[in-house]
Amino acid sequence: MSLQPPVNSRQDIGRPVADFQLTTIAGDQVNLQTVLSRKKGAVVVFWSGICSHCVRYDGYFNGFPRQYPELGIVAVASREKETPEQLRAIAADRRLTFPILHDPGSRAANLWFTQQTPRVFLIDNNRVLCYRGAIDNFKYPQDPEYVAYLDPAIRQFLDGKPISRTETASFGCAIQSVYYNLPKAL
Amino acid sequence: MNSLFEIPAGIMERGLFTMDTALKAAQSALQVITGQERLQPLQAPPLAGPADIDTAVADFANRLARIVRFTHWDGAAPGVAFREVTSAARRSFGQFDLRDPHNSAFPVQLALSFGTLFVQQGLRLLAAAQVVRPSEYPRFLTDFFESFTDAPVFLSLEYRELLEKYEARLAERPDDDATRCELGRTQIKCGLHEQAAKNLLQAAGNASVRGLALHETAVAFYRAGKLEQAAQAGSQALDVSPGNERVRHWLWLTAQKMGGYPEFVPQEHRMEVKAGYERPTVEFEDIAAKIGVDKTSAGRGLAVFDYNNDGLLDIVIAAAHAGCNLYRNNGDGTFTDVSVGSGLDTCVNGFIIAVGDYNNDGYPDLFINRLGFFPGEAQLFRNNGNGTFTDVTREAGLKVWGPAFSSTWADYDCDGRLDLFIANNLGGMFDRKTPNRLFHNNGDGTFTETTEQAGLSTRWPTIGATWGDYNNDGFPDLFLSNALGHSQLYRNNGDGTFTDVSAEAGITEYCIGSTSVWCDYNNDGLLDILQFTWSNHEDVIYTLRHGEGPPGSKPQRIYHNNGDGTFTLRDRDIGLTGCWGTMSGNVGDFNNDGNLDIVLGNGSPRMDRLEPPILLQNDGKRFHNVTFAAGLPFTGKGHGANMADLFGNGRLSVLLSSGGAYPGDVMTTRVFYPKRLPGNYLNVRLAGVKSNRSAIGARICLEAGGKKQYREVSGGSSFGCLPFEQHFGLADAQKVDAIQIRWPSGLIQHFTDLQVNDTLSFTEGERTWQRPYKR
Repeated sequence: MSLQPPVNSRQDIGRPVADFQLTTIAGDQVNLQTVLSRKKGAVVVFWSGICSHCVRYDGYFNGFPRQYPELGIVAVASREKETPEQLRAIAADRRLTFPILHDPGSRAANLWFTQQTPRVFLIDNNRVLCYRGAIDNFKYPQDPEYVAYLDPAIRQFLDGKPISRTETASFGCAIQSVYYNLPKAL
Repeated sequence: MNSLFEIPAGIMERGLFTMDTALKAAQSALQVITGQERLQPLQAPPLAGPADIDTAVADFANRLARIVRFTHWDGAAPGVAFREVTSAARRSFGQFDLRDPHNSAFPVQLALSFGTLFVQQGLRLLAAAQVVRPSEYPRFLTDFFESFTDAPVFLSLEYRELLEKYEARLAERPDDDATRCELGRTQIKCGLHEQAAKNLLQAAGNASVRGLALHETAVAFYRAGKLEQAAQAGSQALDVSPGNERVRHWLWLTAQKMGGYPEFVPQEHRMEVKAGYERPTVEFEDIAAKIGVDKTSAGRGLAVFDYNNDGLLDIVIAAAHAGCNLYRNNGDGTFTDVSVGSGLDTCVNGFIIAVGDYNNDGYPDLFINRLGFFPGEAQLFRNNGNGTFTDVTREAGLKVWGPAFSSTWADYDCDGRLDLFIANNLGGMFDRKTPNRLFHNNGDGTFTETTEQAGLSTRWPTIGATWGDYNNDGFPDLFLSNALGHSQLYRNNGDGTFTDVSAEAGITEYCIGSTSVWCDYNNDGLLDILQFTWSNHEDVIYTLRHGEGPPGSKPQRIYHNNGDGTFTLRDRDIGLTGCWGTMSGNVGDFNNDGNLDIVLGNGSPRMDRLEPPILLQNDGKRFHNVTFAAGLPFTGKGHGANMADLFGNGRLSVLLSSGGAYPGDVMTTRVFYPKRLPGNYLNVRLAGVKSNRSAIGARICLEAGGKKQYREVSGGSSFGCLPFEQHFGLADAQKVDAIQIRWPSGLIQHFTDLQVNDTLSFTEGERTWQRPYKR
């Protein structure tokens, strides 16, 4: 993995994010320029094959290129101890079609101040950060309390309007945890 | 009848403690004979497994419990079980080299260790029998067993292995609907509600598990937002199990979300709620989304403090499986999430947040510990004053590993520097009691443990620890709210030592204690103890339906300070009649009438248990449950229950960090804001000079409208500190006649004739005050 110096140490909304280069589980080298090529922007999601929250968004991310052809999409698998082999098996099993980058040592996650999956970032084609946080409030769409976060941000971005909510807090599964390193419970 | 049971319980308790002491003495003697080192508290996670016999035995017992829970006991099971038990023994005892001469007495030590384990479990069962109604005892133990066997699996996110185990079993035995039901229940815990509903509905075809499967189907559908199907499943579950109050309650929750019961729900499946409708003097609206703090956090600690010294109150919220969130108050009615890069965002799995300026640099620091029902690390974050925090745990000498449930700051020796107390609960069903710990601040950024010198011993798993000067001698005393067992009161002797005065003070009752706070609920100048209690789900539902807990139950209680070193237990006689699964709570005068009111954060890890936060309005004589009438929700779950005047306008908001322990139990933080200013007020802030900068332990007496009110600045007692700012409701008083401040240094200052509806900052020794808000 090659890393460029962070563009700004606090990763402010409205300023460019640091690029990174990682290898997909298919073996290709990808950086943000690759993802943004001929796109208006992209969504980067920190993701894990084990995370029980991420699995709920399989259909969403598989359908993302069709729903938002102007945007690139890439998942970054940073969770410690999750290997490319496991990721390939999970992608095949769940028929995942979006590109998954393996992030050994969680370096990209650390560079992007990310502690849990799923956490999404919407960037424009100059890597300017437009939205950061959760996909929704983790409710199901049928729930009266359901609130989408990412989709409204994307629509406003594509319409060239100011994004009304540029940040929400993430929730989910920890990327690094001492509990993953204790003797197995089962 | 109670007294008849109490006598044998007391005798049994003494007997068990005597046996425990004798066995431990034998263990110590063997340790000396074999040259084994004295055990020290763990500073770091035991990544290689248990390193001492007692921990190994407890670990093995915990593993056996999980094997019992997660193994299928038919067909080839004996072979499987044998393999699992062997593997568990290897994991638990793998660190012991029996060829090492220090382990020459291993078999005897093993026997003694199992002996102490049985004694310890006996004490816990005895305590539980004193506080859980006999009819509820089996369900209490079942819930306890499920929560504790689940905890390490879900913390380490090994749920995938668990799901695969169930799926493999079903591949072999597709007709095993008990396993299919467990698969569905586990999927709910993971947040996979739609898949769960499918499996549970399939399992419901089998009569032997139909009741449970339909109940859980209702849970899955509700959580997936499919309310009509949830109501149908709930109603069908009640057809199977008409007496199952948990199902009836879930159906009621579903109906509330639907705007009423659907027509197909028969009358006998419905319930009415009587609790929560007493007349409030102020109503609230949820402004969390509007102000930008509606974070998913899993119901962890929430503290209100001014991290950047701009005079505005900011918010920090801990989260499960995610970093802490720091919200900066913009001063315009909104908050900005400034977590990223603050350093607090790296603090994953935070639980309790204690705020205190330990280095007296004017910027409040944070001590954050983890879990409380499973061991974890704690971290001291030094506030750098520039919006960032640095983890200084190691250099401060505060590296600990244990099931810490409360951490509280207090200057127990009044030397002007904040000391730290960490209360440890139970890290596993069979775990030994992790000692509570007191750390003295050396004044150079480091701490030294003084637990033993201070004379603080630990008998029961502790959840709440809170400091308050009950005897007005100027030194903070310590109350321990123990999870199972008696509570304890330690009197501060003023010389760095403490005396357990629980018995002479009259604090002898068993209860399932959660957190507690010192407060002067009746404005008599004597600090009382408000102890929150946790009740079984059935008692909560009974309370909802009847407006009060069932006979024999244990509601919230106040230990009323009699002023002579003794306390009187008061609960039902002052309106504390309800039983809730209270995990934390706090006090504040939300209706500005001059009497401290209460907010309760309630719940349990179970996915089929949601319950409301509770507001108890104090009219000076009794507490009244005004929850629903005041506009709070019918449902919720969470630890961080606080009150703060977020906007400096005298309206005390109720802040509730919401969510549960399982990944699938997701809710967002809620902030309930009074719709109107319910009365005049004065906010008082203190800054110590000779005393600790946070002025923790300072006592304020305010006189207005012919009434005196008392506050003591607390260094945390629950899942997150109240702001250090002391909010006084003044009703219709037009001026404050007098304020007296007793600083921890001993200095007493008087101020007279102050305006109402203001926020004032007092600095120790200065004759005038400042206004933190621009007017």
